[in-house]
Amino acid sequence: MGPISRRLFALESRSGWIAIAILLVIGLFIVPALNLMVPEGSLFHISTFWVATLGKYLCFAILALALDLIWGYAGILSLGHGAFFGLGGYAMGMYMMRQIGDRSVYGNPDLPDFMVFLNWDSLPWYWWGFDQFWFAALMVVLVPGLLAFVFGWLAFRSRITGVYFSIISQAMVFAIMLAFFRNETGFGGNNGLTDFKDILGFNLSQDSTKVGLYVVTTIALLLVYMICRAVVSSKLGRLLIAVRDAESRVRFLGYSVTNAKLFVFTLSAVLAGVAGALYVPQVGIINPGEFTPAKSIEMAIWVAVGGRGTLFGAIVGAFTINGARTYLTGVAPEVWLFFLGALFILVTLVMPQGLVGVYRSIRSGELKDAIRRRIQRVDV
Amino acid sequence: MKSAIKTVAAVGALAGSLAFSGMAHAADTIKVGVLHSLSGTMAISETALKDVMLFLIDEQNKKGGLLGKKIEPVVVDPASDWPLFAEKARELIEKEKVDVVFGNWTSVSRKSVLPVFEELNGMLFYPVQYEGEESSRNIFYTGAAPNQQAIPAVEYLMSEEGGSVERWVLAGTDYVYPRTTNKILESFLKAKGVPAEDIMINYTPFGHSDWQTIVSDIKGFASAGKKTAVVSTVNGDANVPFYKELGNQGIKAEDIPVVAFSVGEEELAGIDTGPLVGHLGAWNYFMSVDSPENEAMIKKWHAFIGDDKRVFNDPMEAHYIGFTMWAQAVEQAGTTNIDAVRQAMYGQTAPNLTGGIAEMNTNHHLSKPVLIGEIQDDGQFATVWETDGVVVGDAWSDFLPESAKLTADWTYPWVCGNCEKPKHLTN
Amino acid sequence: MSVTNNADASRMRTVFFSILFVLLSLLAFSFPAHAQQNDAALNAALSDLNARSFKAKTAAVQALGVYGDARAVAALEALSEGRLYGRKSDKSVVIAERDGKIYRLTDPATGVSAGEATSRELKKIIANNKLRGLIRGVLGQLALSSSDSELRRAAVENVISSPTGGSLALLKSARDRETEDDIRARLETGIATLELGSDDPALRRAAVDRLADGNDPEIKSLLERRLLKNADGSFVESDAQVRAEVQEAVSRINDRLALFGLAEDLIFGISLGSVLLLAAIGLAVTFGVMGVINMAHGEMIMLGAYTTFVVQEVFRVTMPAEAFGFYLLAAIPAAFLVAATFGILIERGCIRFLYGRPLETLLATWGVSLILQQMVRSLFGANNREVANPDWISGAISIGGGVSVTVSRVYIVIFCLVVVAALAAFIRYSRFGLQMRAVTQNRGMASAMGIRTGQVDALTFALGSGIAGVAGVALSQISNVSPNLGQNFIVDSFMVVVFGGVGSLWGTIVGAFGLGIVNKFLEPVSGAILGKVVVLVIIILFIQKRPRGLFALKGRAAEG
Repeated sequence: MGPISRRLFALESRSGWIAIAILLVIGLFIVPALNLMVPEGSLFHISTFWVATLGKYLCFAILALALDLIWGYAGILSLGHGAFFGLGGYAMGMYMMRQIGDRSVYGNPDLPDFMVFLNWDSLPWYWWGFDQFWFAALMVVLVPGLLAFVFGWLAFRSRITGVYFSIISQAMVFAIMLAFFRNETGFGGNNGLTDFKDILGFNLSQDSTKVGLYVVTTIALLLVYMICRAVVSSKLGRLLIAVRDAESRVRFLGYSVTNAKLFVFTLSAVLAGVAGALYVPQVGIINPGEFTPAKSIEMAIWVAVGGRGTLFGAIVGAFTINGARTYLTGVAPEVWLFFLGALFILVTLVMPQGLVGVYRSIRSGELKDAIRRRIQRVDV
Repeated sequence: MKSAIKTVAAVGALAGSLAFSGMAHAADTIKVGVLHSLSGTMAISETALKDVMLFLIDEQNKKGGLLGKKIEPVVVDPASDWPLFAEKARELIEKEKVDVVFGNWTSVSRKSVLPVFEELNGMLFYPVQYEGEESSRNIFYTGAAPNQQAIPAVEYLMSEEGGSVERWVLAGTDYVYPRTTNKILESFLKAKGVPAEDIMINYTPFGHSDWQTIVSDIKGFASAGKKTAVVSTVNGDANVPFYKELGNQGIKAEDIPVVAFSVGEEELAGIDTGPLVGHLGAWNYFMSVDSPENEAMIKKWHAFIGDDKRVFNDPMEAHYIGFTMWAQAVEQAGTTNIDAVRQAMYGQTAPNLTGGIAEMNTNHHLSKPVLIGEIQDDGQFATVWETDGVVVGDAWSDFLPESAKLTADWTYPWVCGNCEKPKHLTN
Repeated sequence: MSVTNNADASRMRTVFFSILFVLLSLLAFSFPAHAQQNDAALNAALSDLNARSFKAKTAAVQALGVYGDARAVAALEALSEGRLYGRKSDKSVVIAERDGKIYRLTDPATGVSAGEATSRELKKIIANNKLRGLIRGVLGQLALSSSDSELRRAAVENVISSPTGGSLALLKSARDRETEDDIRARLETGIATLELGSDDPALRRAAVDRLADGNDPEIKSLLERRLLKNADGSFVESDAQVRAEVQEAVSRINDRLALFGLAEDLIFGISLGSVLLLAAIGLAVTFGVMGVINMAHGEMIMLGAYTTFVVQEVFRVTMPAEAFGFYLLAAIPAAFLVAATFGILIERGCIRFLYGRPLETLLATWGVSLILQQMVRSLFGANNREVANPDWISGAISIGGGVSVTVSRVYIVIFCLVVVAALAAFIRYSRFGLQMRAVTQNRGMASAMGIRTGQVDALTFALGSGIAGVAGVALSQISNVSPNLGQNFIVDSFMVVVFGGVGSLWGTIVGAFGLGIVNKFLEPVSGAILGKVVVLVIIILFIQKRPRGLFALKGRAAEG
């Protein structure tokens, strides 16, 4: 074993690796196989609906990981992560928009429909290059990264922390939302980008493409998880935890808190951008709705429900909340918001460590002890 | 430890039984999907449409259902979240296996579900006035196209009876429906000889609440000595503060009439209409129209909903017409098979609640009458003008050069929603 | 189907009718006795009001104007106010007053009661805008000779705003009779606008002189049109000297209007600022004192607005009509109590377990806000609720130059200042206020001094929520009352509080008015949307410079 692979192996505990392996086998092989090979109508068939929905959850899980990295480990609660997610999504959407070519409604090979419609006669400069996948892929990383770098540099340099940071990050995403709603901004206004046909030559309406995207997203989630794990278990990670717990002291000890925070914030934004880019081809639309402050708040709630500062909890939280939404909006369309609201309150009050925290305390027996203590107290 | 496992098992069993309860329904019902937002920003408008669908299905079941089966509504909440609309549409078609879906309000939600319906060959009835420029094989558009609402309204205002308006403010929320409508109107007005300086176009964001500056601008624009009217495509939420500001700044309908395409009885229910008397609305239906069909429908609706203050409006009538036509088409086709029902839909007729007969055309749009009404102090519209007969809905506007050359016709030899040439002649 | 007629012919017809009409009405004034004898014609005109076509109705209105007696006036007023009905049984025209479920009828021809009817037996006679405009002109011309100066004042405005061919003669004779100075001045201006089109250059010059002193944008555009060229290249104003004077007058009016424009932006800015301040002030209390981010703050505003709605409905049912307008005053304490109660519930049930963890509070209160929204949606329905503007806060005050201030907004500014002053006084002078300030400045020390911080927290939260509820009363007058109401204000409120400086009431005030005014000065330049984006970017950049806002608290409290 070389030093690199040894480091890699050390990222997770033994049981962690086993869990990852099991989930990967289910995610990468069993789900696609049950969708593509088992005939429809069979009990074991997984419909394309579920593949598409799971694919969506996986993107949210990547996003939640990105948020947990900064909130759980560096104490930076961004209420504007929807901005990075959305910008990544827009970059990918612009590529797919350019791929439509003359198959659009008005049949103009050079301009997307909405530009024909607004009487634009040429492509604005910021759309140049998006007909190339490599360029779009670069922008998926670069645009959110750059925005986060500039925003973070301004904020961390002035030592804006805690709720102040949360609120101005919310102002940022709100400003971006308003700007993208304008039709003149050139990103399709309220409707956003839609009517995608294919990606890298694969037809988006085919089941095989959907499964392909799902598999790619699963692998991306694994990679992002590994990256985050590597960051938090490095020296930088320990520094971040110290910043989270006592920022001033770390500063007085001579560490550059600003640089550390800036690095991890920018990385988190890039990961969110990647999540957005994977999300858009799977849902078929990107519009300024992704920038509403409510969505960004919800992302923080996924992390809180799963358990912040655990990475794995972020994934659990994203799946739990979005799964509950899918289920409840179908089963209890009139009252599902009550459930969701109550869940948020309960989790923050009763399970401060989130679902993962509950699981851990069950495993370690703490919960049982706590309950026993409570009962004994009542007895007395 | 054991008790913890037990708890987990119990919760799991409960969740499992809930999950499978959806599948326990017998297969001898016809399922109708209802895809309207019940929470979030659009719940204001869409909740009533969900209610009306339940009402229509209930009425049909009282008559014995369809093809000897009961109709079962499947209601989901896409929560005003556009990607969630696509997910829920897929759930309805693929998982719930519904035979038809009635739903959507906003254009963006329709754009979001359109690929899903086309991919899975579903059928959607879309009940809201919209911008046109679309014809999908899988969607029937039962709301008004621009030529069934905007153009007649402007023609009316230009007429002597409407006040011989010469100067126009086109005010809208910045999204695709106002953009398209205003573009069509601008081109129409210019074709009628209105100079460019007599047209003012203004866009505001969604939910715009501070209208002081814009209303004052409108007053300024109207002070040029020519009769001025405002054509409003302001959306939902923003209308209440807009109208309140108009009323407060003392703009009377006799001086500057405002004709709106997105304000109906449901929206007026939230405003004191006293100061707004005389401002106009253009729709295909008004609740105030005096006809026996309308009176009967409103009576049944009030009985169903248990509240005789609830209004009935244009998109609700559109669902009524759409549902009636779909039920007739299913009876004629003898099956709920999408392709068979679609064939049976063409030429299908249903009575309008305001009199006359609506017909489904091969471009998936309806022929409907156009009514122009003035707002009264009881929150209703009084019809001041209507078309002699029905107007055929145009999928593609004649007033936009790139769209005028396209034709939508889903029967042989075209079989296409946006083609310049018949698709199946060359084969 | 086209509704456009031959425009030229119709214009000719209008002019012809107007002249005829004025001649006839002058005739009518001189021989009132003659007109009253002619009841058959009056009855014919009245029954013509119930005609199907608007053309026939127009003719009937003009015929009634010729009569000019009290009965015709009553019928015309009823038509324009939507109180004129056709009785289905005998096709007669009646004036109907709603009284509960039935209508009390009056025969317009005799002025005596014509019994009662239900809504099914009646059909409303519809007047369209054109007809209402015509009636306004007709009634105005009749009222020009009224002895009531208020009626005359309104009548002058009506005649000037919808002039017909004979208006000039009418206005001139009215001027000669007029005793009130301000009405005569208004008449002079009205006459001048009409004489601008006179054939006599001397009259035109006098008119221009008279109009140059005004600051009405309508007069400006009227003058500007004199400077244009006709289709054949000749000037509309043929006299070069008059043209020069018009030019001069326009530029003078323009200078004045520019000033009025600035004043307008400032007024709008103050008004927007007061709305922002009302929305944010409750948050300034909870966030500032307790460091709690209450995402359900917007829902407290919404609860206040819904309380207003409920109070209004109660008043509608239980109070006499005269007292109805004062429901708004009753709603203020009610909204405070409702929102404060919810505030205490939220604080005791949820937030108190989360002190010291502001970010978790944010998430939990977000859950609370979802539940409150859905609760209101279930109770009141998803659509907007109607909250009427009482008469005493309706209408607008014109301050010239085309600038007018709506009364409701003036009240909101005043109300907002009263609320802030009351709050400031409460915090400054009351015992509880002292404790609150102590806890804000140093929680640990305050606790050590024997202040029950838990109790202070609960009451502070109730106070902040209650004020948000009171804000909801005011906002219900200009905004939607819907379950989404709170969401529209939450981002703005946070911006105001953070911009102004957390924990500083003064900062919140300056922040709210500052942002409101900046927004309104930007809006005409950049449009409503970009204006808001620019303001947000300004806030973000500003916070870099002063991370604790405009008025930061000094001392240990700043180390959040």
